Amino acid sequence: MAAMLTRDELAGALVQAGRGDRSAFRTVYEATSAKLLGVCLRILPDRQTAEDVLQDTYLTVWRKAGTFDPARASPITWLVTIARNRSIDRLRSAAPMRRAVPVEDAHDLADGAALASETIEHADEVGRLNVCLEQLEDKARGVIRTAFLEGVTYDALAQRENVPLGTMKSWIRRGLMRLRSCLES
Amino acid sequence: MTESTTEEPRSDDARTLAGELALRVLSPDEERAARAREQADPAFAGEVEAWNAHLAAFAAEVQGVQPSAEVWPRIEAGIDPVANDAANDNGRLGFWRGWAIGSTGLLAASLVAVAVLIARPAPVSEPAPTPAGGVTRVATLTLSEGGAPAVTIAYDTATGNLFVAPTTAIAASDGVPHLWLVRPEGGVQLVGAIDGAEASHRTLSAALSGQAGTATAVAISMEAPGTTPPADAPRGPVVASGELQQL
Repeated sequence: MAAMLTRDELAGALVQAGRGDRSAFRTVYEATSAKLLGVCLRILPDRQTAEDVLQDTYLTVWRKAGTFDPARASPITWLVTIARNRSIDRLRSAAPMRRAVPVEDAHDLADGAALASETIEHADEVGRLNVCLEQLEDKARGVIRTAFLEGVTYDALAQRENVPLGTMKSWIRRGLMRLRSCLES
Repeated sequence: MTESTTEEPRSDDARTLAGELALRVLSPDEERAARAREQADPAFAGEVEAWNAHLAAFAAEVQGVQPSAEVWPRIEAGIDPVANDAANDNGRLGFWRGWAIGSTGLLAASLVAVAVLIARPAPVSEPAPTPAGGVTRVATLTLSEGGAPAVTIAYDTATGNLFVAPTTAIAASDGVPHLWLVRPEGGVQLVGAIDGAEASHRTLSAALSGQAGTATAVAISMEAPGTTPPADAPRGPVVASGELQQL
């Protein structure tokens, strides 16, 4: 079962792994692999592919852990970014479009309860993002969230939402701009 | 919105592009261009990092799913216990130094054989297996003209040591050979000038060593003496290249 670690403990284990400490690396895996597999499974079509990418992800983590800087990034952010990017790379390398299912629930943002943060997550960051997302138009909020969670491009989003590509770009760009000025205010 | 837009519209554009890159909504071509900029422009790279930090908060709503029991053993098998053992560093270095010096003939040939064995004609869609901590990656660079083997390189991901052994003198009259990493997402990254006549080795910086662990290929360009090309684009002709393989 996943060991519960604080953010600092996780950061410490990741730094240790970067120095070649295999048991610290195991600790990182135990504490985060379920979350990262969840991230992979949102993007990839089946569990086998997702676990394959998860394996890749941790091999990358082992190799790159020495570059993790706890002063600059939260450990879970750093890990989620690798898992998500690896999943998207795999998704896009695998040719044709899977799932022609419309964006499920794209427009109704999960409520606060579903966003309850785990110990290792950066509660401040999650809270701030949610406050700022509230200020976006529903459409922008929905598509930015879908883009993050499912790893889809402008093109695919425009098709799903049945709007011109230019419209989709302007929704997301405007949303990103507003998000960023809110996040940094 | 009626806010003043006089302040740095360009930096707003860059910030938005960084967000689009972090979100991964760009088309493949746009993404390649943006990745190249990320490599070349530290301020832009910082923007991408900031976006990653902000956006990762979305993952808070993702339910964890326990991986199957066989995932960890596969990961564990992929990380070489010797590689990260600092006590073995000297031995490894000695071995590789010996290899680099002796590599001009027989060993280079056998490395080519190894590379051929490893080189499966995998479809482009199947990314090469991720190099684990402490693997050795090798490449035989062949001349763009004629295809003769020109240089063999070996890179140790555990130590960051890069060995370069020319098999034929490539330091021609009209330029200084420069080594480049070809990134998996496209684009190139300058490693630096190399000795085109003698085997040499260097230890890559942290920034470069990560890229050397993931690069798909290496290439050599011939640059005018006394000049240094931009880090992401050779000025001179590419005279040799080869795929990086895991040994």
